[in-house]
Amino acid sequence: MIKSYEVNYLTADRVDFARHGDTLSLTVTEENDIRVQYPRVVLRSCFPVSDQAAYLSIRDANAEKQPEIGIIADWTELDDKDREAVAAELDLYYLVPKITRIESIKEELGFLYWEVETDKGPQEFVMRNNITRTTREVSPGHWLIIDVNDARHEIEHFSALDARSQKLLARFLSM
Amino acid sequence: MEKTENTESSEDPLIQVPKAQINVLEFHVHDNPSIDPALFPMPVADELRATGHNIHNIRLAVQSNLGPDGQFGEQWLLIDDQELMVLDRPNGRAYQRHQFSLDQIEDAKIERCVGNGLIQVTVDQQPHVLLHYSNDFTDRFGRVAHYLKERAKNGPTTPIPDPNADAHVCVVCGKYLADPSAKVCPSCVQRGKIFKRLMQEAKPYWGKVGIITLLLVAGAAINLIPPRLTGILIDDVLSENGNAGLLVWLVLGLLGLRIANVAINIVKNWLTINVSGKFTAGLRERLFSHLRNLPIDYFDKNQTGRLMTRINQDTSELQGLFSQMTNFALNLLMVVGIGIVLFTMAPSLGLYVLIPTPFVMVAAYYYYRYMRPHFRRFWVARWRLNAMLNTFLSGVRVVKAFAQEDQEEARYHNRNDRMLQTQLQVNLAWGKFFPLISFAFSAGGLIIWYTGGQAVMANRITVGTLMAFIGYLGMFYGPLSNLTQVSQAMNRFVTISQRTFELLDEAEQAQPERPVHKPNIAGAIEFKHVTFGYDPYFPVISDVNFKVQPGEMIGLVGHSGAGKTTLVNLLCRFYDVTNGSILIDGEDIRNLSMDEIRQQVGMVLQSPYLFRGTLAENIAYGKPDATYAKIIRAAKAANAHDFITAMPEGYDTIVGEGGSGLSGGERQRISIARAILHDPRILILDEATSSVDTETERQIQEALDELVKGRTTIAVAHRLSTLHNADRIVVLNGGKVEEQGSPKQLIENHGMFYNLVQMQSQMARIDGSTASL
Repeated sequence: MIKSYEVNYLTADRVDFARHGDTLSLTVTEENDIRVQYPRVVLRSCFPVSDQAAYLSIRDANAEKQPEIGIIADWTELDDKDREAVAAELDLYYLVPKITRIESIKEELGFLYWEVETDKGPQEFVMRNNITRTTREVSPGHWLIIDVNDARHEIEHFSALDARSQKLLARFLSM
Repeated sequence: MEKTENTESSEDPLIQVPKAQINVLEFHVHDNPSIDPALFPMPVADELRATGHNIHNIRLAVQSNLGPDGQFGEQWLLIDDQELMVLDRPNGRAYQRHQFSLDQIEDAKIERCVGNGLIQVTVDQQPHVLLHYSNDFTDRFGRVAHYLKERAKNGPTTPIPDPNADAHVCVVCGKYLADPSAKVCPSCVQRGKIFKRLMQEAKPYWGKVGIITLLLVAGAAINLIPPRLTGILIDDVLSENGNAGLLVWLVLGLLGLRIANVAINIVKNWLTINVSGKFTAGLRERLFSHLRNLPIDYFDKNQTGRLMTRINQDTSELQGLFSQMTNFALNLLMVVGIGIVLFTMAPSLGLYVLIPTPFVMVAAYYYYRYMRPHFRRFWVARWRLNAMLNTFLSGVRVVKAFAQEDQEEARYHNRNDRMLQTQLQVNLAWGKFFPLISFAFSAGGLIIWYTGGQAVMANRITVGTLMAFIGYLGMFYGPLSNLTQVSQAMNRFVTISQRTFELLDEAEQAQPERPVHKPNIAGAIEFKHVTFGYDPYFPVISDVNFKVQPGEMIGLVGHSGAGKTTLVNLLCRFYDVTNGSILIDGEDIRNLSMDEIRQQVGMVLQSPYLFRGTLAENIAYGKPDATYAKIIRAAKAANAHDFITAMPEGYDTIVGEGGSGLSGGERQRISIARAILHDPRILILDEATSSVDTETERQIQEALDELVKGRTTIAVAHRLSTLHNADRIVVLNGGKVEEQGSPKQLIENHGMFYNLVQMQSQMARIDGSTASL
């Protein structure tokens, strides 16, 4: 039995994910081949910003306070079926659109109104014009922009944006 | 309830049905009428028909902006009489993803993800995620989940909520609001109205504003004379056959004008600062006096930081903007005045002056536009540098303990370097742009030199006129470029005024029109069917009933989140009940005046707040006129007298922010002394001993035992030992009264209270204290 302060690492051969609609379920093979079924699990990346592939915390969504079932050290090493299920669930859990182009940024009465193109489709959002609180430079050129609904938007590489987008960003962010 | 027509529709061709009963925005209580199919797109309606549903029976339709793949898209959650459906609508077509019979749904909830959330139902004990939605839809789906949960408990008669009720929309146009503390969206702000209101607010200063205006005009006029005199000097004095006697008068005249200008400027600046300063100081005071009358929930919704900004920063910026506005007015007067003079002096040359005008304006506009980001970057870099220094200084022990001095130094170096870079950039940008803009200014002069020179040679104008002209020109472009900043400043002005007025217009807590006076209450309390929720749809207290006799001590226990603190907040009328009533001595507290309630109800909170001032002032906070004798007696009863007198400055010790440090237990005893001196009939102890160690708790307990004598007391407690002499215990669970009775009865009952006591006595054995009951 694993003690509560120890990490239960789940290896690829011990997990079996399945998706029904938007629900991700999991069967874990414990010691002495006991199979435990979890009708719904949620996935939380331990390092969602710096490395989404590493250390995925798997939690029992059906139990109160969603206790951790275990951690998958590198989920990209799962077999194809499980990897796809995990990737699809992460896509749903983390809605952090990556900005690919900026159509416009307008400043009005203390707010910035953004109109952007993202990897998840075109989007408009509103951000408080207080860049020290609403933006975060993860690493040089890699930015997180947090809007009024506490939703995050990512600029992966500032220099990879087109010139016009860069210019618009530079006007409003401290780049 | 008023019916509101919802005219907003999607871009799809809509089903044509009579729009007779569009009432989605109504809160239905008894019947659950259907909603108009025109409110959801046609492909959705088609798919509903195809799956055998009657689209006229749809009771609830909520849209999500995310697709099943986590991309932005469109999904619909619909509920009719029997079923719940979820439809995806990729590329115009709609297809059904989930369908559940409402009667089978056992539970429902929403869950927060990152940047989005999900709604889940439980059917046959199996969880099913219905769909994901982005964060701005949280309220709507929260209501849906709540409805499904209630329906599972109470059956099909459960009223269907309007998912859009209390949505955060602009009161004018109904658009979703970005700023949760605002009421009107930026595009609906009526600038004219705000200026009118500003004028109204400034009414007491109209006289002085009038004088400032006169001084502005006079100053502008005086500024216009010197070049003209220079012209006369050149033409009539310095020319051949010049009148030498005029020289001294002209120079004296110039001197007089300069002196007059200085005098006018001094008076004008003094008046402007005087008026704007007094105006904003008055505004600040009004904001504060309004703020103190606002209900507590306003402070829950608005963070301290934001309110501080509104009261301090906004008003001082408003003051700065006032001075800027007078500057604009002066510049405008100068531009107009010089324009008129130039054209009357030499109409043909006047036209040439206008040629560079657009260039100057455009250049100035771009100049500010170009410089602003540079300045902003510099400010942020400077702020980051300061923040870094701040964390270093406040965490210097940790830095040293972990031997991280080198790394901190490297970090400081990085930020310092960044600030230097941005500073250099500002200077570089300035250095690049400034010569360009001065060139634009001087280019205008060159045109005049050329065309004016020709006019002089052709004897159409005199040399003096040309010189005067050149002089005016130098005064013309500066104010002109300054005027390009008007719109920017005006915007700022409107924003801040709007925010200020919004705060001033915030509704104050309702006071009874004719309050019932009860100067001497006995202290009986009755909770009658009390229901309350911060959001009316999610009650945190539901149907709580119990009575407290005068002088009785009631212990209020339960798990955290059970509603204990909320209940005592209701008794203090920090919030008003949603349903039911709270009676003090048989009178609804809503009929008592607020002052009287606060006079009769005293509180000792978990984390006592000490204001900046002496200990004596803090103890006498509720009764500033208390005598020394009374203060000492209260401190003595609160077990605080001994440690106070042990301090070098005794009762005169300054505490509060920046004051000398008191331990948690000492602060708590000060607040108990405060309550003793306040001498309320009803006393509320809200976790008064939960944050102190066992020994301190004993000392506080002694003080509390003294305090509760002869008063009606409601004690909220986590540590049950605090309640050892409670007459009765009320156990709350999930906002409802789980059980009540004397401690002895409840222990014999072997219910929730018994379990809590069991748990705590086990804990007590570990930490050596005794949970004696």
